[in-house]
Amino acid sequence: MTATTVLDVGASSPGKRRSLWRYWRGNLKGSEFTWALAFSVPYIAVFLGFVAYPVFYGLWMGSDPALYSDVFSDVIYQDTVINTLVFVVLGVNLKLFLALLLSGVFMRPGWLTKVMLMLFVLPWAVPQLPAFISLHWMLNGEWGLLNNALWILGGIEGPSWLNERWTALGAAIASHLWKWTPFWTVILLAGRMSIPQDIYDAAKVDGATGLNRFLFVTFPLLANLYLVLTLLATIFLLGDFNTVFFVTGGGPNNETHLLATLGIRNAFDLARPDLGVAVVMTALPVLIPLVIILMRKLRTTEVQL
Amino acid sequence: MSVALSSRRRSIHRWRRRADAVGSAVLSVALLVWWLLPIYNMLLIALDPEGETEFKGDLWPSDPTLKAFAGVFFEGYWYLKDFWLQFGNSFFIGAMTMVLTALIGSLGSFALGRMWRGRAGVISTAALLLYTVPVYFLVIPFYLLMHKYGLNDTLWAVIAANVTFAVPYALLILQWYGRLVPLELDDAARIDGATPVQVYMRIYLPLMAPALAVIGILAFLTAWNEYLYQFILLSSPGNKTVAISLATFFDNEYTPWNYPAAASLIYALPPIVLFFAVRRCIAAGLGSRRFRQ
Amino acid sequence: MALMRRSLLQGSLGFAAGSPLARPYIANAQAKTMSAWFAQGFVEDEDIALRKAVAGYEKASGNKVELSIIPFAPQRQKIVSAITSGVVPDVTQNNPAEILPLYAWQDKWIETEDIVETQKARFSETALKSAQAYNDVTKKRAYYGVPLRGACVPCHTWKSLVEKADMKMADRPRTWEGYFDFYKKVQDNLRKKGERKVYGLGFQVTANGVDPAALFNAFMHGYGGQGIVTPEGNLNLDARIREAAIKAAEYLGGAYRDGYVPPSAINWNDADDNNAFHAKLMVMDVDGTISTEVAVKAKHPEWYFDEIVTDGLLYPTTNDGKPITCITAMLNAVIPKGAKNVPVAKEFLKFLIQPEVLQDTVETGLGRNLPPMPELAKTPFWQNPKDPHLKGYVQQGLLGPTQPDYYVFNPAMAEVYAQHVYSKAMIAVAKKGKATDAVDAAFNEIKEIFAKYPIKQS
Repeated sequence: MTATTVLDVGASSPGKRRSLWRYWRGNLKGSEFTWALAFSVPYIAVFLGFVAYPVFYGLWMGSDPALYSDVFSDVIYQDTVINTLVFVVLGVNLKLFLALLLSGVFMRPGWLTKVMLMLFVLPWAVPQLPAFISLHWMLNGEWGLLNNALWILGGIEGPSWLNERWTALGAAIASHLWKWTPFWTVILLAGRMSIPQDIYDAAKVDGATGLNRFLFVTFPLLANLYLVLTLLATIFLLGDFNTVFFVTGGGPNNETHLLATLGIRNAFDLARPDLGVAVVMTALPVLIPLVIILMRKLRTTEVQL
Repeated sequence: MSVALSSRRRSIHRWRRRADAVGSAVLSVALLVWWLLPIYNMLLIALDPEGETEFKGDLWPSDPTLKAFAGVFFEGYWYLKDFWLQFGNSFFIGAMTMVLTALIGSLGSFALGRMWRGRAGVISTAALLLYTVPVYFLVIPFYLLMHKYGLNDTLWAVIAANVTFAVPYALLILQWYGRLVPLELDDAARIDGATPVQVYMRIYLPLMAPALAVIGILAFLTAWNEYLYQFILLSSPGNKTVAISLATFFDNEYTPWNYPAAASLIYALPPIVLFFAVRRCIAAGLGSRRFRQ
Repeated sequence: MALMRRSLLQGSLGFAAGSPLARPYIANAQAKTMSAWFAQGFVEDEDIALRKAVAGYEKASGNKVELSIIPFAPQRQKIVSAITSGVVPDVTQNNPAEILPLYAWQDKWIETEDIVETQKARFSETALKSAQAYNDVTKKRAYYGVPLRGACVPCHTWKSLVEKADMKMADRPRTWEGYFDFYKKVQDNLRKKGERKVYGLGFQVTANGVDPAALFNAFMHGYGGQGIVTPEGNLNLDARIREAAIKAAEYLGGAYRDGYVPPSAINWNDADDNNAFHAKLMVMDVDGTISTEVAVKAKHPEWYFDEIVTDGLLYPTTNDGKPITCITAMLNAVIPKGAKNVPVAKEFLKFLIQPEVLQDTVETGLGRNLPPMPELAKTPFWQNPKDPHLKGYVQQGLLGPTQPDYYVFNPAMAEVYAQHVYSKAMIAVAKKGKATDAVDAAFNEIKEIFAKYPIKQS
């Protein structure tokens, strides 16, 4: 990569500065460089004005080592870590796999697809708070709509979904998928739509249809995007407290807490935002590599051009 | 031998196709139920005269009424007194978030991807650092920052927050998408004497329209779903949003749930309309275009 | 100028001007703006009464109050954000109530003794105690709150369901266990009549929300186990307390285990038991305030006046017939450190706690909130013989034996509640565990939490 060659050019010599300057300017000539800067100003302004300070403040809030002994001494911390892992691994992969499949379905023409798509994006548009609380009621073992429907339509006595740890966590994951799969489906739909039709035409000539077409044409083209989205979804999901907070409330018996809900509890119920940040910070050893991979992935994607 | 084999293969093929059809039908129905049941649950509550079906165990409304919808529409219930003002505020936040995210994202991605062409390195991805701390835990420093900028208790504070969180992923999607628009198009235009502004306006924006539509709708819905920043950054009655107003319902020991359920369903309409307006734009996207040099 | 305002005050605010205490606080001629965050009312009249009081102050003082009326959950989050960042309003309510001792511990409030002093003789003892908290920086207990109103936890019963079971309300025993056992019989009878989905007891055996801690406390007191935290802030886990805790865990968890509590109760949130009670799915519910009754009054006067019974006056006694001390949670106003207009804020609060103003705000709220002054319980509104709920409620939460919640004495208790330590004990019994083991585990956890909040004794 060019970056390494630039760094190799003599240390602290004026030559370095000039070549770095040339590197920065790239192939831009005269006014073009000014324009490039001007175009970047809003983005850089957002970064300097709104990103840098909160992030450093956030990291600073969680920087006192003493906080972490408090975090680890919390009796439900270990359960919470396991829940978070299950929630993230299942949540992210099921969500993206479902989104990948559905984005293919929604590529089809016809009014039926349109209607389906409209119904499908509905959960995304409903405000989260009432939606999740309504889910909490729907899953009530005795009086909820789900078990009533099972009983009346199928004669099945449904379980008390929210009364056991794993069914409750499963319910939370299902609710999360319900709410957020549309988001990722739309991104993947756009990704699929960006694949030029002539590639498919060429594949057709070679006899690739159905699953083969997906495996050997569509997916390789989407793979990079899919990977980036997986990382992004992981990061987002680690910060999602709404689903568990409202659907299971961390219950039964504090058995379905996530790092995010524990953090929110510490921050607002105990009036200790620093302790709240510290809880989610314990995910940083996993999160930082992900962010770095994401940053690199993006850069190499650009260089590939 | 070969004939038998091929017929067997054909029957396996037929069987598999039938299994596929049955399987996908079952899956679609399951998915449809999963997707619609929670919405239906909200509709049941909204149609109940007192909003208490959530614990009654009815499968269909026993005494359906549009009272709650009328209550929302005409601001008949006292928690919903300023519903349309709040709705306007929510919409303003959503629309501005959408426009600014698309604008800042497209300018940034044009400069980074098409002018510097990937040499800007760290800068192009630095915004992703934002995601190292979950968004909800940044609300306190953000509140402090907005106070310093004098933006506290204005809708712009919430817009700024939303845009800040939407721009990094918007940029990511735009960069990925932009890969598919050949750089040679820009170069050709530049050789013909087009200024960067002209390239941006005449080549980049039209070709990227589908991607911009996607990030626009994503940004709008991010704003539409967010509530914690609205809780904390907004205070005065004139600046309240639907999300804040809905929260009032959840504090009480006794609430007529039909009103928040109806309000939620009404609140879900603008994104759906917007989505369909934008969908056409996405569908008319790159897929149908051909780039020939 | 000042003179004009003063006469204006006397002319336009009959109720304030009548009080000799009203005037001295309104001496500020320089118009200033202060900000105040108050909690959203439960009925519209509460907001109207609050606005009226604020307008009264504005008119009398010439100052301006920027009033934000905020829902409960956002207010908690706003207060935490404000205190952490230092960008604070001039006055806010301690919503939720435990935020007062939690932040007093961190030295985040301004002392309010001079405000409380103006009405000190009138406030109930519980109100005065609730306004004080321990400051871990100065190592002293001091006034940080200004009491505005209170709430306690009565027992609500559907008379119609009791009668449906062919039983009489009048037959209910008044001793603790007998009282609750009665509802088990109601359920048994209802089952015999084929009623499948109605449960006798609406216990919140859940680790979610604030209800379970209030329920467990009520049962601790019912079993004579009062004083797990001393007013000085020390933890007291002696044999009496332990025995009460074991009995409470056994009764509450046992009722669930034996099928007298709805199965979903193990993961209810604060709204669920209200919804279930309101849908007549349980015969009785132990839950805060009389807001359910108040809320249905307009729509279902027959419920309010006949069907729902709240036991305030007839609140059960301990098993050996002694009266029970009820926990009354107080809502206070606080002034955060860093507030820009402390003098105005203080003056505003002095105005708000005049008995006439308090009476007006509490009574227009239909009696959901209790006044903080015993004299205000003797008004025709509270003593109205035609009202089936108010007289008993004010007796239970203000005139009878009361005490503040335990986090007032030591904020460690707020963490005990947030960790749902009591809930875990109830749930352990509900899942067929032994109550002694469950309580020992809970007490160990409570000790660990209290170790983080040592209070220096003077």
